[in-house]
Amino acid sequence: MKLLNVTQPIITILPAITILPVAISIIAGLHFGGVEVIGKFILGFFDPSLDKIIIKSSLNGLQLTLATAIISWSISLFTGIILGFISSNIFWKILDKSSLVALLIRRILAIPRSIHELVWGLMLLQIVGLNSWVAIVAIAIPYSCLVARVISDQLDSLNSAPVSALKQAGAKPINVIATSLFPPIIPIILSYGGYRLECAIRGATLLGVFGLGGIGTELQLTLQSLAFNEMWTSLWILGLLMFILEKAIRLWQKMLLKPGFVKQKLTYTLSIIAILILLSLLFINAHGIGDFNDFKFNSINIPNISQLKSAYIELPWLRLIGNTLALTFLAAGIAIGTPPLMLMLFPSQVFSNLISILWTFLRLIPPPLIALLLVICTNPNIFVAAFALGIHNSAIMGRLLKEQIDCQGSKEVEAIISTGAIAQVTWLYGSLSKISPKYLAFAAYRTDVLIRETSVVGLVGGSGLGWQLIESLSSFDWAALFLVLTAFSIITLIGEDLSDRARSSLLKLKRNNTFKISFTG
Amino acid sequence: MINLDVVHSENIRLKNINIKISEGEKIALLGKSGAGKSTLISAANGTVNPSFGSVLWKGRNVLQISPRMRSELATLWQDLRLIEELNVCQNINSGALGSKNLLWALRNLLGSIEINECIKCAEAAGLEKEILNRNIFEISGGQKQRVAIAKAIRQEGEILLADEPISSLDPELIAKMIDLLLGNSTNNGIKIPNTVLVSLHQPELIYKFTRVIALSKGKVIIDKPSYLVSQKEIEWLYDKR
Repeated sequence: MKLLNVTQPIITILPAITILPVAISIIAGLHFGGVEVIGKFILGFFDPSLDKIIIKSSLNGLQLTLATAIISWSISLFTGIILGFISSNIFWKILDKSSLVALLIRRILAIPRSIHELVWGLMLLQIVGLNSWVAIVAIAIPYSCLVARVISDQLDSLNSAPVSALKQAGAKPINVIATSLFPPIIPIILSYGGYRLECAIRGATLLGVFGLGGIGTELQLTLQSLAFNEMWTSLWILGLLMFILEKAIRLWQKMLLKPGFVKQKLTYTLSIIAILILLSLLFINAHGIGDFNDFKFNSINIPNISQLKSAYIELPWLRLIGNTLALTFLAAGIAIGTPPLMLMLFPSQVFSNLISILWTFLRLIPPPLIALLLVICTNPNIFVAAFALGIHNSAIMGRLLKEQIDCQGSKEVEAIISTGAIAQVTWLYGSLSKISPKYLAFAAYRTDVLIRETSVVGLVGGSGLGWQLIESLSSFDWAALFLVLTAFSIITLIGEDLSDRARSSLLKLKRNNTFKISFTG
Repeated sequence: MINLDVVHSENIRLKNINIKISEGEKIALLGKSGAGKSTLISAANGTVNPSFGSVLWKGRNVLQISPRMRSELATLWQDLRLIEELNVCQNINSGALGSKNLLWALRNLLGSIEINECIKCAEAAGLEKEILNRNIFEISGGQKQRVAIAKAIRQEGEILLADEPISSLDPELIAKMIDLLLGNSTNNGIKIPNTVLVSLHQPELIYKFTRVIALSKGKVIIDKPSYLVSQKEIEWLYDKR
């Protein structure tokens, strides 16, 4: 009789154990003057500044963030779809060519994808100086590759029988693509595209925190001056935008996915996107922040072999990689484990609604700002960085978990209630059990996103590859930068591969499963 | 059940149901598909809200009883409602969740616990010990049904509400399971609920029960001791209406 059988529902909760060392370290470093400041920050939630100047400044910042996000999103969607098609095996199969080309393109795209938009932003900033296009390009590069990966994965998972049938009937390749690939991929583009716009807004906000303008800069400046009421004005405005955007995207997707008038709907969608891009471009130009003439190309000292060699010897690789992995491990534990743990311990509807509000704001505040808030009251270290990254991502995982639970039927819950189980046990067995494979599949993906994101909180952590990356960038140490970037890419790609394997084995376990992760960004 | 009406999406599922169940009764619930048997069982265990009337358990409204009292009502669902993510042993143990705390529930998700109790229930339901470690999706429909039976008796309730518990079983197992659910067989010290309400589509088995309740279009049309139910009434129930 096998005594140990660790089930998927418990695996979703177990990672929360990482909160213990993190909490102990944060509490041990607490200084009470800082706690008072944090109290003021929390109270600011209820009392945002209503000063006209502050609101106007926040709105201006938001417009720039939105314009940046819309342009980078549309570029990445357009480029990503094309790259996705040409990096799929099925595309080359239709053209009767070797799918090795697809493999080669996928391998090449993996490298820019493995580098976080913040790192792209900081590198471009060093090369061309401050300009809105820096943020746009910084987001567009990794996002295009992410979209390409999703599209090619989805295309290759399609049933290839219709393709073979059309080819056998003598249809031209372009017609085969239009008939057998476009119809099934359009709903995925619609659904994934909406999600990517939300990511682009979050990305543009984050870049703002690092001085690239927009609402992120507003948040950073107000935090630096401890003007929490003003900070909350920006957060409320940003929250309102995200709320409206989410509802609008859902409504639009629902309408688009209804049968009929495909051509008309597509025309409307493209027209709206075109108008949004035009407005964004006009905004950027009107404010003189996107002028191409402002580009000043600074030369990069391409490192030679001996510089690379000495940088390789100087860098403390074991510590850098070890800390990056530790940071990822701790942050992933918090991000994955705390949402189900919280909902299990407090399963009431009131708490569930309250935590949803908390998650909304935690998603809005970029992790470096959460980290900066924390270092007001505790000592900066890797645990603080892990906590900041972890709770920001736990808000993303939490929303996902709640959406999955809300979508499932009530039969399982009824069955557990009828045994007389208490509310916590009912939630664990009735609500969490069924969705745990899907949740863990998303968690596997989130973990590889977290490896990339460690660079974002690297400064607060004071260690790890992310920290070294930013250090090398600010000291123009191109040899170290090149090596650290390479190491970062390798770790990210290994992580991506491991998470892909974990995800597919988890989803295989789920019987009669038609679910496929499409949101990988 | 007092003056019970259940209306769902303007469809009348149950109409003016008045049933009193006494301790120790073994009731067969008959009726064609769609007659309201499942709704009656769901109303009895408090998972369906009546549109009118009420269901009382030991004098208290079943919708307002404590979890502890709710655990006295064991239900065997028609669609089994087993948890696919857990193995057979863990599923059987989940029947006992009502009498256990959160820590026990978490331990059950980490591995097989209280194995002896599990084995007793599994064996009583005609399952072999070897099956306890298997995943739910690895076993047959008939085995799943017996896991659900084992889970229901693991609950150790005072009344068992069983919705077509023998639909996937062969004739030999049907007789065995009915004997088990009605407490007619010796069961290794397992507590089988003394009071039983079983919905079924096998009228030839009613002689094993003490009382028969038959539903048609959501109304009670037969409610009498089983020995008074005639063959004609059964034919009328299934064919003439």
